[in-house]
Amino acid sequence: MKIYNRYVITVSLFLLLTTVILIATGQNSIDLYFTVYVIEALAITELYVHINNKARRGLTYVSTILFGGFAIALCFQIIKILT
Amino acid sequence: MTKYNPYKRAGLGLLIAGSLISLPAYFLFQLTWLTALGICMLILSFILIALGKAIPRLPPEVCSLLLETGIDNISTLIEELGIKSKAIYLPSSLTSKYPRAFIPLHSNGSHPEITKTLPLRLISRYGSSPEDIGILISTIGSTAASMLESKPGGTPDELESALTSLLTGRLGVADGTKVRRYNNHIKIEINNPHLENGTSWSNQCLGGPLAAVVASIAAEAWNKPMTISQEEQIDGKYSVELEVGK
Repeated sequence: MKIYNRYVITVSLFLLLTTVILIATGQNSIDLYFTVYVIEALAITELYVHINNKARRGLTYVSTILFGGFAIALCFQIIKILT
Repeated sequence: MTKYNPYKRAGLGLLIAGSLISLPAYFLFQLTWLTALGICMLILSFILIALGKAIPRLPPEVCSLLLETGIDNISTLIEELGIKSKAIYLPSSLTSKYPRAFIPLHSNGSHPEITKTLPLRLISRYGSSPEDIGILISTIGSTAASMLESKPGGTPDELESALTSLLTGRLGVADGTKVRRYNNHIKIEINNPHLENGTSWSNQCLGGPLAAVVASIAAEAWNKPMTISQEEQIDGKYSVELEVGK
């Protein structure tokens, strides 16, 4: 279970640091926050190649949900630019 | 199940807290930073719930109980028979189904050459001489080898990848491995192992639990018998040296 703990701590630290940095730089767009979170979560998940298959399957579902959210945010931005 | 699963409990807690924070923060207070923090919690909650499903249902204490009972039985058997020779870890092609350890009952210092598949019996004969007998047993390595998704290839890199995946990802008993091969020896370094080695008679014969796992996987990878020639633990590093058989 040690690898799971390390993975969770890494993701938590990255998300928290990103929040602090984005707040400090005065970012006010929730889409930007969400996009950075999704990219970070997907990248860290890919880096943990030794997580076992059962956990990886579950994380693939999470990645799909996050990517879906990212796609929806992107669609809204495109519609906003076009109109 | 949720009651005993810390990942699922933490995940559900973060899911509720994240929803309670992000929704009012976005729709009522219109605070971006608080909404972002709520989204962080929601992402972490999904990850924790997904990981919670992968945790084995059997508690570690029960696993330890089963492991110790098995090791005790093998130790008793080896001590009663008075065996002093080192075990030879055979690949599945020389046993059947899983890699196993073969302990010759009579040894003159040299390792016996096993070329044909041994019958699946406790006491097995490997040659024509009346002294060519030994005991064929399953070790932790036999079961661990069956956990691998595919048979590793016979290169140090492939063995290292298989061992790291098994010991770090699947079993969580070490932080990583390093494999080097020179002539007919393979040296494996295991970083920060969490399994302790005993000093019993059977350990001198079969090697420690981690060495048994490493030897079984290496035998399977190279499709050759392996013997543990040396094992030592220095500064959080456990190194195992294997001798590749003919």
